Amino acid sequence: MNRQELTVMADQAKTKHHHFSKKVCVCCGTSCMASNAEKVLEQVQQNIDALGLKDEVEANLTGCMGLCNQGPLVKVLPDHTIYQKVEPEEVGDLLKAQFVDKQPKKDKLLFADTRPEPFVNANEDPFFKKQHKIILKNCGVINPEDIEEYIAYDGYKAFDKALNSMLPEDVIAEIKHSRLRGRGGAGYPTGMKWETVYKYVNNQKYVVCNGDEGDPGAFMNRSVLEGNPHSVLEGMMIAGYAVGASKGYAYIRGEYRLAIKRFETALKQAKKLGLLGKNILGSNFSFDVEVRIGAGAFVCGEETALIASIEGKRGTPSPRPPYPAECGLWGKPTLINNVETYANIAPIILNGGEWFSETGTAKSAGTKVFALAGKIKYSGLIEVPMGTSLREIVFDIGGGIPGDGEFKAAQTGGPSGGCIPEQHLDVGMDYESLMSLGSIMGSGGLIVMDKSSDMVDVARFFMEFCMDESCGKCAPCRVGTRMMHDLLQRIVDGKGTQHDVDRLQELAVYVKEASLCGLGGSAPNPLLSTLRHFPEEYANRLVSPEVLIHQHLEL
Amino acid sequence: MKKKLATVWLGGCSGCHMSLLDIDERILEVAKLADIVKCPIVDGKPFPEVDIALVEGSVTSDEHYEEILHIRKQAKVLVALGDCAVMTNITGMRNYFPLQEVMAAAYTHSPSNDGEGMWPNHAALLKLHGKVLPLQSVVTVDVVVPGCPPSADTIFYVLYELLNDRMPDLSTAQKLKYG
Amino acid sequence: MPIITVYINGQKILTESGVTILEVCKANNIPMLTLCHLKGLHDIGACRLCLVEIEGVNRLLSGCTTQVADNMIIRTDTDRIKRYQRITVELFFAERNHVCAVCVANGNCELQQAGYAVGLDHIRYPFLYPECNVDTSHPWFVMDHNRCIMCTRCVRVCTQVEGAGNWGVMNRGHDVRIISDFNTPWGESITCTDCGKCVHACPTGAIWPKAVAQGQLTKYPEMIGELVEKRKLLQ
Repeated sequence: MNRQELTVMADQAKTKHHHFSKKVCVCCGTSCMASNAEKVLEQVQQNIDALGLKDEVEANLTGCMGLCNQGPLVKVLPDHTIYQKVEPEEVGDLLKAQFVDKQPKKDKLLFADTRPEPFVNANEDPFFKKQHKIILKNCGVINPEDIEEYIAYDGYKAFDKALNSMLPEDVIAEIKHSRLRGRGGAGYPTGMKWETVYKYVNNQKYVVCNGDEGDPGAFMNRSVLEGNPHSVLEGMMIAGYAVGASKGYAYIRGEYRLAIKRFETALKQAKKLGLLGKNILGSNFSFDVEVRIGAGAFVCGEETALIASIEGKRGTPSPRPPYPAECGLWGKPTLINNVETYANIAPIILNGGEWFSETGTAKSAGTKVFALAGKIKYSGLIEVPMGTSLREIVFDIGGGIPGDGEFKAAQTGGPSGGCIPEQHLDVGMDYESLMSLGSIMGSGGLIVMDKSSDMVDVARFFMEFCMDESCGKCAPCRVGTRMMHDLLQRIVDGKGTQHDVDRLQELAVYVKEASLCGLGGSAPNPLLSTLRHFPEEYANRLVSPEVLIHQHLEL
Repeated sequence: MKKKLATVWLGGCSGCHMSLLDIDERILEVAKLADIVKCPIVDGKPFPEVDIALVEGSVTSDEHYEEILHIRKQAKVLVALGDCAVMTNITGMRNYFPLQEVMAAAYTHSPSNDGEGMWPNHAALLKLHGKVLPLQSVVTVDVVVPGCPPSADTIFYVLYELLNDRMPDLSTAQKLKYG
Repeated sequence: MPIITVYINGQKILTESGVTILEVCKANNIPMLTLCHLKGLHDIGACRLCLVEIEGVNRLLSGCTTQVADNMIIRTDTDRIKRYQRITVELFFAERNHVCAVCVANGNCELQQAGYAVGLDHIRYPFLYPECNVDTSHPWFVMDHNRCIMCTRCVRVCTQVEGAGNWGVMNRGHDVRIISDFNTPWGESITCTDCGKCVHACPTGAIWPKAVAQGQLTKYPEMIGELVEKRKLLQ
């Protein structure tokens, strides 16, 4: 395929889709599939035929629309009417009401069961209104298993632009200009990372996509890979061109069967069209991508462990420096970015770094996808500009705490993050603000807790996760997390003394600073942040040594 | 005024006491500065108020537990003498197994017993705890002397420093030894 | 190799580039604690005893894996480093069952030496007392997991020097264990060449010859480094 053919294909695909005046999207993400979305899609297609609307309405499967517990979801475009919890047998009535009677069925509208007046146009619903979508823009709109549709939505246009009208330096300059930062959690400036890899002279370099999303309660990367795999692939291809790599690896968590399937389909289609392979689009740039499947180790999300895992070794981290940019996969300069980071690349190249940096805050540009979960009315996947306050996310988008519960804390960044208490609800969600509260952005998990949550037990739970997921290579993390877990368990069991809290404080800082990799380096965060923001919960649990002595227990 | 010195033997093998005796004629130096008011081989009177208590062995039973609490109250300076007192050592090797298994191994399955498998359970006997604990897991310990046993030189050094109102520092004195 | 200047604990040192902080410290008689390092094997920075503070770097780095750079200002003797070294050794002792009194390596053990070096007289954390196997299936050697500190020197010497690859690592976190082949008894190994290098590489009493009793073990870990040097000469 050459450039012209790509343009022709895009035009053809656009014409094909513009032919239809309406589009019915059936969410086929993992959660909706689990609640029978495939049957719903089948019924949608049959009923469109039955109603004689074949030439006006097209029906498609799409990726995640963001409201996983309301599924299966059916969206009608361009009206943006979303129906929730659609059973296959209800599809006939729904479509008839929508297209023939032109009277949307009110009782099946999104949030019909929780909002007094559900919105016919879902974009007016506060859940969507406050969101700003760059990464998820086409997620839930296009068919993730169809490259043509991706191309119709300006897919691979950015890659074509980069390849044919920009030098690698220009691409890197554009990314730098956008002030995009790594979405895996640490927030390292992406442009700088690319530049470092670009500067190393080597005849073989690699691009790696980190899709080993391991945080409990996080499903941002999965949704992007399931809903718009080509956007990630395109980002990787642009990265490959920019840093001078000819080979890419997408490391995807093994539990993400559907994401792996869809990404592999995307690879096959891109290869078939010649978008991957030798001399892409008539240029002298060659690039290929392979999928590597993770085996379920949390630590393999750490870049050096991920590299070891791709190499076929035991997935344990190694000390940095040397950084992967210098000495990564098989000793070669390697660029590693998160799924979400790659998904940002094409829009940046297409619209310019300036456009991207207008969203978000001065230090954290762009948007961030969060997986909103826990004690919250409307949970799901949301994308908001960086710097959006926690209050807006929890109360405006998420609808607040269900029932008569009261907000207590929000845990960001999964087991490596911290808890943010009520008095800091107005914190803007960006890298620095979260860091200053003892939490991290992480990959975007956001768990809301109400007053019934026991913060000491929350700290113990996350410590247990880190203890089990520690790879066992370095002593501080291997033994330190176990020790902290045991001490927290003592406090939870009502056998903890002030002495235990002192030991926990000391160990937490030690494990944070002395550990080899980021797992140990951030494992104490839930403990430290709960100690900082909820000291009274610890104090209330403590007993005096006399009580333990009376029971002949260990102090 | 002469200081009062006492030694006691909890869950240990008495090896540390043997090592204490190995200070030989230096016991005279100790005797100049202190009266040994209580020691396992002296008598069975309750533990008196003392300036220095040398405690050998770990806490393995209810009796030891009460005893070490009592000693802590009575002693101005409590010295954990030997590896058992400091880190449970050999006495702690039963901590890898449940107490019932340990008892069965000793009193039922051991080739040397009479095969009846009678476990000692007289009311006057101490009750073993499920887990052997080092002293600092029960009380505050002032001076720690590891070693199995600590050498006579080390014990004398510690005693001599304490009797002269100085805190011994095994690390600086290069007298640290485990095992 | 160009000569560069580094400052360690305030001392100005000229050294060639491309060497690690640990190598510079050794060459200049600056004490640096190590356990997982063994000359002749690739360093992995796992024991975290050789941590150093470097000016301008906000993390602590392991001296054995970090190369010196020109004008690097390094500190190995701060209170924080010393405190962390002590905690690390304490955690090693608390993690498994290090009963020095009955250990063959007593008196000739690198973990004991590390304990003396950091002035460790007691352990402030609860002992974990895990249940660990003692593998006596090999005709000459014993693998006692009670004494293992997971430095993986045996794994590395077996792979990198002997080339046999008998030793490996299994599980995660505190369940991590050294295994022979695919977790089969050492005596049944089809890869072990019975060379005994792991016996010498082991810093504690985890791997030892059957012919020794308590406190009788003598090891010669330097042999590994010498062997590697000799092989280089032959090539």
